[in-house]
Amino acid sequence: MTSAQVADQRIETYLDRLQSALGRVPEGDRRDILLEIRAHILDSTAGAAALDGTVERVLGLLGTPEELAAGYATERMLARASRSLSPWLLVRSSWNWAKIGVKGMLVFLIALFGYAMALGLTVSIFIKPFMPSRMGVWIGQGSFNVGVPAHPELMHELLGRYFVPVIAAAAFAFAIGTTHALRWMIRKRTPKYGLTQSGWSV
Amino acid sequence: MAINSNGERAQHWEAQLRKGCLEMAILASLWQSRLYGLEILRVLSEKSELALAEGTLYPILSRLKVEGFLDSEWVEAEAGHPRKYYWLTAQGRRRARQMAGAWNELASKLNVLVQPVVGGNER
Repeated sequence: MTSAQVADQRIETYLDRLQSALGRVPEGDRRDILLEIRAHILDSTAGAAALDGTVERVLGLLGTPEELAAGYATERMLARASRSLSPWLLVRSSWNWAKIGVKGMLVFLIALFGYAMALGLTVSIFIKPFMPSRMGVWIGQGSFNVGVPAHPELMHELLGRYFVPVIAAAAFAFAIGTTHALRWMIRKRTPKYGLTQSGWSV
Repeated sequence: MAINSNGERAQHWEAQLRKGCLEMAILASLWQSRLYGLEILRVLSEKSELALAEGTLYPILSRLKVEGFLDSEWVEAEAGHPRKYYWLTAQGRRRARQMAGAWNELASKLNVLVQPVVGGNER
């Protein structure tokens, strides 16, 4: 096998792995990415004397196919999420961000907390008609409880007939507040850029 | 130990500074003409010494396109394979101008402040 054939095979293997790693990217975009990376490799290796060595160097600078695919997936998802109102997309984006940094993990925890609160409060509104005297906002014995306390006789319910509107407003505020906070944090994030100079890589 | 730590902190600070400018640098590289990926890398490296990792550039270009700052098209080249050329959209030009303006303002104000430090003037 000649040096050129080895290099070609190496490029094809890299692109095959990249195609697999881009599994969730829509078909048209995936084809576009593969064409662009192929063009980049061909341009970078054009006229090289030792082709196989040059191909190795160029592929090394691109990173592994999985890293490159993760870069695409994260950048595209965060770009969409920064304009989206979909909690599902925002949670998925913050989870992707969490996988590459501590700041992302914090954002993911905020997303989980905010949406879990909104969901929990909404569920309590639906339970209220079935347990009208037990479901409430309770205070007493040094504790505060939204839901069904173990010993309601030792506590005092705060909202009474205003439970549903107040809790609905709180659930709405948590959902909207979390959505806007996540969009803001995603827009303000410092992307994890890689710089090739020694000491600058991240 | 302290020297090492200071050295690392300075290097980290400089890295953060460069990262913060990267989006502006990519948009600025496309200000005058349409370029394909490898040309953008070369312009960044030659004009600003920003040596960006290849695997980082393409995902950023993809995001900037999703955000509406860039557009692109495939052009058949003499090299025998097509190349994807990028250019700034009207929104991208506004963004680049805004970022460059903010950068210039900050740099000129800070230059006044750091001039004695750079010049080594003691009290």
